[in-house]
Amino acid sequence: MFTIDRRGLVAGVATLLAAPRLARAQGSVKPRLTLISQWSAGSDGAAITSLGRVFEQEGGVWQHSPVPGFTTEMMNKLRADILAGNPPAASQLKGPEIAAWSRIAPTVDLTEEVKAAGYEEVVAPDLAKLHKPQGKWIALPLQIYRTNTLFASSKAMAKVGATELPKTWEEFNTLAGKMKAAGITPVANGGIRWDDGMKFEIALAGISPAAYRKAIMELDDDTLRGPEVLAAFQQLRRFADWMDPAVAGQHYSVFLPRFIKGEMGMLMMGGWAQGVIRHNGFDAGDYMIGQAPVDNGKPCFVLNADAFIFWRSKEPDLQAGQKLFANLVMSKRVQEMYSKITGSIPVRTDMDLSGESWSEGQREASRSLNESVRENQAVLSLAHNMAQSNQLSAAMIDVLTEFVHNKSVTPEQGRQRLAEAVESAR
Amino acid sequence: MGLEAEPLQRPALGAAAMPAGAATAALPRPAGRARWRGWIGRLAPHLVLWPPLLVSVLHVVSFTLYTTWISFTPSTLLPEYDWIGVQNYVSVLNSRNWKIAYSNLVIYGCGFVLLTTALGLLLAVLIDQRIRAENLFRTIFLYPMAVSFVVTGTVWAWLLNPAVGIQHLVRGFGWEGFRFDWLVDREMAIYTIVIAGVWQASGFAMALFLAGIRSVEADLYKAAQIDGAGPWRIYWRVVLPCIGPIFIAVLVILLQFAIKTFDLVRALTGGGPGLATQLPTLVVYDLMFQRGLLGRGAAAAVMLLLSLLVVLLPYFAYARWRKRREARHG
Repeated sequence: MFTIDRRGLVAGVATLLAAPRLARAQGSVKPRLTLISQWSAGSDGAAITSLGRVFEQEGGVWQHSPVPGFTTEMMNKLRADILAGNPPAASQLKGPEIAAWSRIAPTVDLTEEVKAAGYEEVVAPDLAKLHKPQGKWIALPLQIYRTNTLFASSKAMAKVGATELPKTWEEFNTLAGKMKAAGITPVANGGIRWDDGMKFEIALAGISPAAYRKAIMELDDDTLRGPEVLAAFQQLRRFADWMDPAVAGQHYSVFLPRFIKGEMGMLMMGGWAQGVIRHNGFDAGDYMIGQAPVDNGKPCFVLNADAFIFWRSKEPDLQAGQKLFANLVMSKRVQEMYSKITGSIPVRTDMDLSGESWSEGQREASRSLNESVRENQAVLSLAHNMAQSNQLSAAMIDVLTEFVHNKSVTPEQGRQRLAEAVESAR
Repeated sequence: MGLEAEPLQRPALGAAAMPAGAATAALPRPAGRARWRGWIGRLAPHLVLWPPLLVSVLHVVSFTLYTTWISFTPSTLLPEYDWIGVQNYVSVLNSRNWKIAYSNLVIYGCGFVLLTTALGLLLAVLIDQRIRAENLFRTIFLYPMAVSFVVTGTVWAWLLNPAVGIQHLVRGFGWEGFRFDWLVDREMAIYTIVIAGVWQASGFAMALFLAGIRSVEADLYKAAQIDGAGPWRIYWRVVLPCIGPIFIAVLVILLQFAIKTFDLVRALTGGGPGLATQLPTLVVYDLMFQRGLLGRGAAAAVMLLLSLLVVLLPYFAYARWRKRREARHG
């Protein structure tokens, strides 16, 4: 972890020396930024601290108030600040919640800055849409994770004689069957709500990215009641049957040691798990990583992204700070520094990840993002509140998590309940 | 964590419990010799009583009214003040989560209250047998009460986890077929919350019962012994009827515990597997803070408050009735 931090810092500082001094352009006021996020510890904390240091080196005053713990705690702080008429200059917010929250307090129009930086051309279109709800950029994405990432334990793979990650669900199912026969728990699982929800989104996106887009992102009723969604529920039931029955209600990371030891075969988790595995003292040779199966053979990217929303402020120093911060967040060097620390991939699709401090997993994910955007197979994550508002996501995930843990619900019933949940939550 | 989710319930109970506590504090004390002493003596109860009462009333009543108001508005992320009638109540009542949560509350509430009372009474009777190291045992049994529900939940989550906890241990002893996987069994998971809750609260029930048993007059015991009653009969016919009021108090306190349980479930099962251990308090929190539906969350909170009143009002009625009866009988 620490070497990465230092590397990230060195990279940040090095690029800094070469970069134009943005702060000078801001006139006489010293740019200042008040920021709320939940990032206080681990690689997230290290990354935001480094970003703050870059901000300070550019002549800004960095006032970050982390609200650690659940996202809801941070939202409560934000709500209280908005009610008090004193929102922070920027705060961490993601997905459709950006549009929802932008309706309750005035935000900053960043369209000029985005245009000047030529940023819109290098952001995945679906992602860009989330950050300009009324056609104006009011928020900026910071980093991207792919949720449909498949990890396979090297030991488990060796035990069943497999050398390659499965490419389709059929291959996946065959491999899982072999693992089961060899006494390995095929699917490593925690059993928290979003974990269960993610399994479904990975299955559906792999079965048909187009159906995923229609059913999950556009909530098309016919597709929600269609054959692809049923197939996804059937696949989700297979996952559930392959999980350790003794696991429920725990974080997936609790079981990483068993996964590495080869007692559990495959882990479906976002790219952030790389950082967690590394944090547990295991290295890249302990697991294989790649895209989760996609049946149509083309890359598909289920996207989860962190972002900042910018709240309007009357104070000139805060306004200058927001401009400076926006330019930093959009810049290649900050995105590179940030992603190297957290293990995510940059938002910009025009970055070169061939440098040696990028991991193979990051390179692969970034390639996959570019190709998926081209193939129109980059979709937004349901389980991580990217596809729908929190209210709708929660209603849908209720159905999914219950389906995973209640084997008396048939896939047909699951599909029907999902469609009904969408109907009643809308 | 639980506090924000149910701003109504906790302070409300504090306030509700207060008159009872205040009544003991205000018992007539020996009159002072000097006049000013008597004056202070008369004033002190008021000084002790009124400030907290006023603060509680301001806090509890005003926020209760505010929440009730919000429950009739279309508020989502922030409070809004348009009237939409009972729409929020209808949609909460129709939601699957709420139905699951309430049927769970019935199972958990009954199981928790009955088992805790029974176990507390048993412990109290056993400790009453003039045993050695009574204080030690009393402390041990009371200790879980000093532990927060979050800690209880986390500890029991590991104990009950079949892969590392009790099941694993017993299998390690050689009983390979042993199964105790309630925590991950969605039919049985709610009972794990009963177990953890009973473990936590039975010492408290014991303390109350023990105090009651000890307060029974020695003459009654002696009279019963002279009449030739065995220990079993003495408890059943003499002691238990005498401590009837304690039963009511224990039941009420435990019931309100059960209704406002939040942190225990949050730490033990997180409402899972699936939605199997959802309780109303979790639904309130989920609606208000996870889904950003303040109006519906407030409606759910108001219904939770009403279910508390269902418990507390009969108790107050009973307390009044008893007071009157005592006044009549002198």
